[in-house]
Amino acid sequence: MAGRGGAQRPNGATQGKICQFKLVLLGESAVGKSSLVLRFVKGQFHEYQESTIGAAFLTQTVCLDDTTVKFEIWDTAGQERYHSLAPMYYRGAQAAIVVYDITNQDTFGRAKTWVKELQRQASPNIVIALAGNKADLSNKRMVEYEEAQAYAEENSLLFMETSAKTAMNVNDIFLAIAKKLPKNEGGQSGQQRPPGLRLNNEQNQQSEGGCCK
Amino acid sequence: MDEKYDVIVLGTGLKECILSGMLSVDGKKVLHMDRNKYYGGESASLTPLQDVFDKFQKKKTQEYGRERDWNVDLIPKFLMANGQLVKLLIHTGVTRYLEFKSVEGSYVYKDKKIYKVPADEKEALSTCVYCILPGISICARDKYGALMGIFEKRRFRNFLQFAQDFDESDPKTWKDLDPNKSTAKELYEKFGLDANTQDFTGHALGLYLNDEYMKGPCKFLLQRCKLYSDSLARYGKSPYLYPLYGLGELPQGFARLSAIYGGTYMLDKPGAQIVYDEQGKVIGVKDETGAMATCDAVVCDPSYAVEKCKKVGQVVRAICIMNHPVPNTKDAQSVQIIIPQNQVNRKDGYYLAIVSTTVETSNPEAELQPGLGLLGDVLEKFVSVSDLYEPVDDGKESKVFITRSYDATTHFETTCDDVVRTYKRITDRDFDFSRVKHNTDDSGQTQE
Repeated sequence: MAGRGGAQRPNGATQGKICQFKLVLLGESAVGKSSLVLRFVKGQFHEYQESTIGAAFLTQTVCLDDTTVKFEIWDTAGQERYHSLAPMYYRGAQAAIVVYDITNQDTFGRAKTWVKELQRQASPNIVIALAGNKADLSNKRMVEYEEAQAYAEENSLLFMETSAKTAMNVNDIFLAIAKKLPKNEGGQSGQQRPPGLRLNNEQNQQSEGGCCK
Repeated sequence: MDEKYDVIVLGTGLKECILSGMLSVDGKKVLHMDRNKYYGGESASLTPLQDVFDKFQKKKTQEYGRERDWNVDLIPKFLMANGQLVKLLIHTGVTRYLEFKSVEGSYVYKDKKIYKVPADEKEALSTCVYCILPGISICARDKYGALMGIFEKRRFRNFLQFAQDFDESDPKTWKDLDPNKSTAKELYEKFGLDANTQDFTGHALGLYLNDEYMKGPCKFLLQRCKLYSDSLARYGKSPYLYPLYGLGELPQGFARLSAIYGGTYMLDKPGAQIVYDEQGKVIGVKDETGAMATCDAVVCDPSYAVEKCKKVGQVVRAICIMNHPVPNTKDAQSVQIIIPQNQVNRKDGYYLAIVSTTVETSNPEAELQPGLGLLGDVLEKFVSVSDLYEPVDDGKESKVFITRSYDATTHFETTCDDVVRTYKRITDRDFDFSRVKHNTDDSGQTQE
């Protein structure tokens, strides 16, 4: 599994620290979750995005002053469709983007349910952002900006309207999350859980403390 | 619901989830359903703790810390660090969803005492196995007393060295034994191991449930000893691994693999029922509303097709909550005691012990007594007796392919064997770990 190191710097000088965070996407089917990630990670947009993307998760880094924030972005892989999202999905997530479609009031209602679900299931200090996607279709708007903003404020969520199609606010919302995340202890955001062991292909001949990356 | 699928999988136990994942990777259109609201079926980890009390219909009379900190395994097992399941996790990339911990201690029960199984090669070869309870001093060097005398230790060391060097395809490593013909008993005799050491080797290293293996070809015992020592070498201190948040993470991980390759998931379908045509061949699966999804084949655990299974035994399991570690294990946070089997892991000031065994008498709970007796005071105990089923046919006629119930072994090797066999029955192809390997790379880029 090559190519999963941190941000590469020329001449090997490591500037500042690298923090890694797990970010999960939530929201009703077809609100543009995968499209947002694809825009953010690859700078691409497909009008007819397939409903699932065949990757375990995607990674992308953003740079903040002296810190590199690396996002490990988990897509729902369609498991939200029949409300069958596994608890594993939320586990250890330090950030979440809850997405709705500004042209569809139902998806906003569902977004509120996902926020409640996160407050119940995820870690208490998770950073949640609300994204009103498909902002390029504002002529078909069904969810008012002010309504969503008021809801976000009440629940201490970051809020932006985004468009995966035009790239509006896509990088900005990830950047805003990166700024809000606590960046102590190399990114594992000060939780008390014991460090886990990650299995990989190499033999770890009697290495102390396993092979955590 | 009213769609056509290649395969409908019923039950989200580990075996069904691995099969679902592999079939989706093969390009099959898969619908995966479960009657429960949670993933994992028989191999689930229940959370919050209240769910455990509900399942066993017991009333909770005291609080045990934060409810959601509990993940209680229904079936206790560990992963061998170099075993088939670890290989499968790595090849499919599912390992990236999971974190593991090494199981700190492994102990074996003998004459009402427990003995530590060597934690590393150094311990196995020099200090060897010692008794935790003081009293039976055999080796003067060790203040706790030793399980083996000094000459037996040397013989045991020679045996381990032979097992380590053994290669089935290289007769030079066989020493004048025929791995296919010589029995395990003959192998022990060749190295002059006494009955205690044989017992220890077969149960604590070979992880056999009984002594039947002694009559079989010795290569199987050698393979198991090798798996044990390769597992020890792999991640350090212990040959056993355990998912940080319970075994229930494993089926969830493979379910995610299936979903990523297009699998559709529906939980909470209490009425899921297989529908057959007049010839007894499967045509689909109906839910409680009467809606039907059609399919070419069904894969399921025995509970979804009981009429096509036979009972082959029973396992009794007791889940115990305690507020102290298991006595005489040096306060290990996680421990396995092989009696034949039993495991424990820690929970926030509380400890969870699961004692299980294959039922041999009409009073199953009494059979657990040697294990329960080691635990000290128990705050809460949940006892269940589960029937073990296996399918009566290979499923090729009806196109209903049924897995076996989870047996009483402490690790996943037999689980994986069943998955490999079931996969072959479904597809007529050998299970190939490497198929998914090249498709699961992430894209990683840096944006300035």
